[in-house]
Amino acid sequence: MGVTVLQPYPMPEGKSGAYIIDHLGKRLLSLGATHAGQFLVDCETFISTPQHGTPTRAVHVLHNSECPASTFSIIDNGTGKQVALVADNIFDLLMLKMTNTFTSKKQTKIESRGARFEYGDFVIKLGSVTMMEHFKGVLVEIEYKPCITLSYCWEMIREMLQGFLSINVGKEYPSYFTTQTIMNAMGQQQLHKQNDIYEPMDTIKQYLEQFTNYRKHVQMHSAMGGTVGPVMMNTVVGMGRP
Amino acid sequence: MDKLNLTLTAVKNLRSSVRQCFEQLADGTDGEGVEESRNKFVHDFQDRFGAINSQLREVEQLINGLQVPATAYHLGNTTFLAQETSQDRQALYPQLVNSYKWIDKVHDHSFLAFNNLNQNTLRRSYNYCSQKRQRLPFTSFNNDPDHIDKLLSEINHPPHTSYKVLRPFGSNAVAIVSISNVLKAAIVFKGVLIEWVTIKGYDEPLDHDDLWAESRYEVFRKVQEHAHSAMLHFFSPTLPDLAVKSYVTWLNSHVKLFLEPCKRCGKYIANGLPPTWRDLRTLEAFHEECRNS
Repeated sequence: MGVTVLQPYPMPEGKSGAYIIDHLGKRLLSLGATHAGQFLVDCETFISTPQHGTPTRAVHVLHNSECPASTFSIIDNGTGKQVALVADNIFDLLMLKMTNTFTSKKQTKIESRGARFEYGDFVIKLGSVTMMEHFKGVLVEIEYKPCITLSYCWEMIREMLQGFLSINVGKEYPSYFTTQTIMNAMGQQQLHKQNDIYEPMDTIKQYLEQFTNYRKHVQMHSAMGGTVGPVMMNTVVGMGRP
Repeated sequence: MDKLNLTLTAVKNLRSSVRQCFEQLADGTDGEGVEESRNKFVHDFQDRFGAINSQLREVEQLINGLQVPATAYHLGNTTFLAQETSQDRQALYPQLVNSYKWIDKVHDHSFLAFNNLNQNTLRRSYNYCSQKRQRLPFTSFNNDPDHIDKLLSEINHPPHTSYKVLRPFGSNAVAIVSISNVLKAAIVFKGVLIEWVTIKGYDEPLDHDDLWAESRYEVFRKVQEHAHSAMLHFFSPTLPDLAVKSYVTWLNSHVKLFLEPCKRCGKYIANGLPPTWRDLRTLEAFHEECRNS
């Protein structure tokens, strides 16, 4: 499990998502990358039924085709504190039993799926994000498998991203990895996430961060590129999670 | 043996008599005094024929008297003579000339080389080694476990590197080196000499059961290739301790494997790989393609 960085691709005006993905895929292939299957990351959010005295909590349930046997869930109590849990796939059935306390917000089910490329030890995924079969944007995932700490290989990943996306990627670490200051029982502590050993959960948290951003912009982009989603769906049908 | 010699002589006699007889027949008569010379000719022929007959009988008798040898005679290389007798077909002669020329050349060259080496003041090889040859190989192969433990503990390693010494094969040591969170290396020693190096990623298992499996990552397979060429570069049977120390110093320079751009092209990635080669002297990072161009 190597370091993974998510990079949303800014949509140029007047271009469809399918065109962008096709274009980027061709660039990767001409760079020497090889096509290596498909991928899917999906996210479903459950909201706790309001009770007296307790704030509503959200449970995000995510799946990543890279870790097909696991279900990831993140409990968000609304104050920024997150509790992460990795469970077997049977966790999905457990959530179905808990409809009394948690109800699924079907209309916010969001996913990113598309082609997966390998280039040396890099794995590059060109995902088109769809919510309720509406196209939302292009999310590029890049993983460098041999390295387990972002601070060691960020410059490499940055060069690679700039190379095939031909957009400027900032020198600073991505927002997910920037230093956070938290308060806990030990007093004030600084978290240097870029120096931590990378875990699959970090990928999931990045996806959640990006998905949350896309959900916020629902109104802004709903008019644009709405027909792309179903087209993309057909090309990768049958690949869903096991 | 005497009997054999007698028989051979008799055969020889028989052959010469037959030859003389035929010569006389071929010569014929001189053509004068027809009746007389013809009688003389016939008479001579009868004499010679009688001699041939008696000699033939003699040969037969002698042959009958010969004993069949119990075993075949050992004739050495001469037995091969019977197999191919034509000199032209064997083509031995050109080969013989060639090999003679070669030996001549080798002799000339070795003579010149010997003179040159003797004049060389640095004396890296010939005389210098011949004096020490009895002693030095034994120090490098000498397998003293305490010495290796001491050697590895003496290597002043940076804080991000850790060493673990195992002895899974009896007294020969295997050092597992972890360099920061970047890579792990297993150095297999034979005595004090480095015998093999395996490089793997930090998240890959590397224990003494599985020292020879290659890394699943392309970058570490490439680093291992370079580590092997460096191992040969630093190899020095005369100063084995120094060789190990310089090798480990070189290996430690991989702590910035993903952090340093290539010294020549200034880029991080070439062909999907970071700069995997570290210069043996300056420890600078290069791509494999950039290092010699």
